[in-house]
Amino acid sequence: MDWYKILAFARGPFFQVAWLVFIGGLVYRLIRVILFGWKKDKDPADGSKLVGLVKSFLKGAIIWPFIPWVKRTFSKNPVVYLAGGFFHLGLLIILIFGTPHMLVWKSLLGFGWYTLPLPITDWFAAVTIAAMVVLLINRFINPVLRLISGPAEWFNWLLVFLPMVSGYLMTHHLINPYEKAFALHMLAVDALLIWIPFSRISHFIFYFFSRAIHGIEYGKRAVNP
Amino acid sequence: MSEETIYEHMRKEGVSRRDFMKLCGLLAGAMGLGNMPPLAASNLSADLNKKGATLVQRVAHALQTKPRIPVIWLEFQDCAGCSEALTRSQSPTLIDLVMNTLSIEYQETLSAAAGFQTEENKQAVMEKYKGQYVLVVEGSIPTGDNGAYCTVGGRAAVDILQEAAAGAAAIIATGNCAAFGGLPKAKPNPTSAKGVWEIITDKPVVNIPGCPAIPEVFTGTVAQFVVFGSLPALDQHNRPLTFYGNTIHERCLRRPFYEAGKFAGSFDDEGARNGYCLYKLGCKGPTTYNSCAVIKWDAGLSFPVQSGHPCLGCSEPNFWDGGGFYQGQSAPLDRPMATAVGTAAAAGAVAGAAIASASHIQKKNADKKLAKEEK
Repeated sequence: MDWYKILAFARGPFFQVAWLVFIGGLVYRLIRVILFGWKKDKDPADGSKLVGLVKSFLKGAIIWPFIPWVKRTFSKNPVVYLAGGFFHLGLLIILIFGTPHMLVWKSLLGFGWYTLPLPITDWFAAVTIAAMVVLLINRFINPVLRLISGPAEWFNWLLVFLPMVSGYLMTHHLINPYEKAFALHMLAVDALLIWIPFSRISHFIFYFFSRAIHGIEYGKRAVNP
Repeated sequence: MSEETIYEHMRKEGVSRRDFMKLCGLLAGAMGLGNMPPLAASNLSADLNKKGATLVQRVAHALQTKPRIPVIWLEFQDCAGCSEALTRSQSPTLIDLVMNTLSIEYQETLSAAAGFQTEENKQAVMEKYKGQYVLVVEGSIPTGDNGAYCTVGGRAAVDILQEAAAGAAAIIATGNCAAFGGLPKAKPNPTSAKGVWEIITDKPVVNIPGCPAIPEVFTGTVAQFVVFGSLPALDQHNRPLTFYGNTIHERCLRRPFYEAGKFAGSFDDEGARNGYCLYKLGCKGPTTYNSCAVIKWDAGLSFPVQSGHPCLGCSEPNFWDGGGFYQGQSAPLDRPMATAVGTAAAAGAVAGAAIASASHIQKKNADKKLAKEEK
């Protein structure tokens, strides 16, 4: 097989299509969510909506998640807390501070930034992959999780796992020739980009909306969750 | 050209036996014979495969017994850079072998004769040595508008190539243009330029891509044909594996910096002065197969990456369209157009709004119906 041609396709036209589907799909989802239940609030508020919003973000996204003993998730299920945490942290660091990924952002945005040395991003990549395996096993053996996991959930895992593994193998030149590894990585990334808007992976955007909605509700009812 | 052997010709030209043997050693090295699979398995003639003969002896034997090989060198949409690189190469004996010993019968840049004279001579050579001569092509071949974009002596390049290829024993495409279309084939490819192997499909074409092709790689390939009478083993892009078996990245002297994550961020920062890896500056080394990092240029003095410039990937197909030269290799080939992104977003918004309002109307109707039924 001519991996050079496949790579050119995966980096060129296929990436363009995937990127456009990603953007178009996310906008579509966003509009759907906004128009889903936009009703005028006729009820007088008991407390400040803004305070609720801020508290919700502090607890759900910014500070609390990083203090293990505050979260019941940790005391109740440390495996998920640690594996999930390291997975998200690793993914974020690799995508933003990995040199090749920063160059992608640079080509799209027009500016670049500092990147981490390869051994460090490499460590995070290994940890992320390990965490994903742990999370998969957990999903398998936990009866409740297994019950609520449909094909889409397994597919989510696979489509995130493939770019991770192909990227790791590519960096270490474990698949030869290099353009084969590169092409496989790009094909996996393109598939993920197309899948994201229509799957739960879109929580990387919608999580913040749901946090905001919940926070406003908390604030309005003057409760401290 | 006469029927004298290569050795006889060289002796006549004043080359001593000692220098001849040196050349044979050089040739064996240039062909990378030391790295080749067992010679016995490479279907050579029996006399070349005698037990106990050293590589140099094998090469010497071949040159002593084989007649000189006529070469026809065609130039189409090119800059003559490959010819220039060859004539300025720092391996004089090797180049001498190709330029003088091989009997180049037709070369537009180098020949003293011009016009009808040299065209007639070419016709005569093609007639006389039908099936024996080596055809070297430099430059891409335009196929648009009946080949009108490149003509020699009033004839289209495609015709000239097909005519010369018909009687050639071997075809070598030197430089990226002849091999893969090169610069003339870059988007939007106004002349519909093509590489030789896209046009000549009934004969094996050896591609020696590069911009220009490394002279030692070219001569090494020609030497292989002279000595063994066969073409070297080729990769999927018809490049000799001996020279195109490894990427620049694999043999790069800056590779340790890549592994350590130490990069030059611009051409004039601390990293650049320290000789760090040029990946961030757009180096295409990881996917570029060539011998630059090993053979280098100017008698092994340096090569682009060593001199502080990222690899452009000039030995790969379509390297002009393979992403910006100074853009990281991981970056997508094209930046998505703002209009395309806007259209995609707008399409998403319209679809979202349409489906939302459709379900809104559906819900309203259902509510009305429910209210009616309740009454």
